[in-house]
Amino acid sequence: MSEIIAQQWQIISSTSWPLLLTLAGFAIAWWTYNRSGRASLLHPLMIATPLIYFTMQIIDLDFAAYYSGNGILNWLLGPATVALAVPLSQQLRQLPAMFKPLTVALLLGGLFATLSALLLVKLFGLSDIVLLSLAAKSVTSPIALSIVEQIGGLTSLLAVATMITGLAGIVVAKTIFHLTQLEDERWQGLILGVTAHAIGTAKAFESSPRCGAFATLGMGINGILTAIALPLSIGLFIL
Amino acid sequence: MKKLAIGLLILVVFQWLGQWGVAFLGLNIPGQLLGMILLLVVLSLNKSLLPWLETTSSQLIRFIALLFVPITTGAFFLGPEIFAQLPQILAVLIISTLLAQWFMALLINRLRRSGDK
Repeated sequence: MSEIIAQQWQIISSTSWPLLLTLAGFAIAWWTYNRSGRASLLHPLMIATPLIYFTMQIIDLDFAAYYSGNGILNWLLGPATVALAVPLSQQLRQLPAMFKPLTVALLLGGLFATLSALLLVKLFGLSDIVLLSLAAKSVTSPIALSIVEQIGGLTSLLAVATMITGLAGIVVAKTIFHLTQLEDERWQGLILGVTAHAIGTAKAFESSPRCGAFATLGMGINGILTAIALPLSIGLFIL
Repeated sequence: MKKLAIGLLILVVFQWLGQWGVAFLGLNIPGQLLGMILLLVVLSLNKSLLPWLETTSSQLIRFIALLFVPITTGAFFLGPEIFAQLPQILAVLIISTLLAQWFMALLINRLRRSGDK
């Protein structure tokens, strides 16, 4: 136990001035995003990260120094993962009578989202490191990050992949729901949560609290199931 | 502020329990995920911790994008080997998301129809 605490203290205590760079970049991005009426493609990460990258080039700061200087933010990702239990527990409590179809849709949907990505990676002949990094792309980012650390992928690639997945998910969802005539907002929420994680869930809450509740449920359970299944089965895809 | 700090402390304790539990039991899952599952179990059995956690967890989740800024900035430094695969990576992400949504929508329509009968 003391080892775990010492290791985390080391991450926190390496925090220094690059944190200001992140906070400034994020403040600009957050302001722009809200100013734009929360346009999907102006997601705070889409604005903040290139801004910070160009600043780093100008002031000649390398990534390792920047990253460790943001220790406190990196450390907070752990508690943020645990924090997901809170909204999930509130939704589980009112788990409706549709338990069986919900479980089937969740299990098969989550499996399909991951499997289709892994097979496409193979089809396009991409490298194993890419496969390991994309495997958790439809899982909510803090859980996805811990999965990819576990199986040995590139965390920065995973972070971008989850962002793109979430954005793609909310852009195409409307058309899919229209084409398949799926009008029930509860099920729409579930699909958004399973396939587009937190970005999809935020979108679902814009439709209605009920839609958002189902998205939270889909995102949370899919995250747990993938985190259990993926480290056990990923070896099958690396030959 | 006090609530925020106590909430964070509870989350951290569960994270440590999860990390310790995974190491102790030799489990093949991320430690903070076990922490989350433990907290989920505790919260479903007993609501008394919930008021202490609500503020911290909703603030952490609200600003989760901020926490992801450093690691996402790292994507600019991934190197030529990954950059060369970028168009295919984009295609994988977009196609698989689209297929998964379409698959889920059809599956749900089917499940609901069989449920009606």
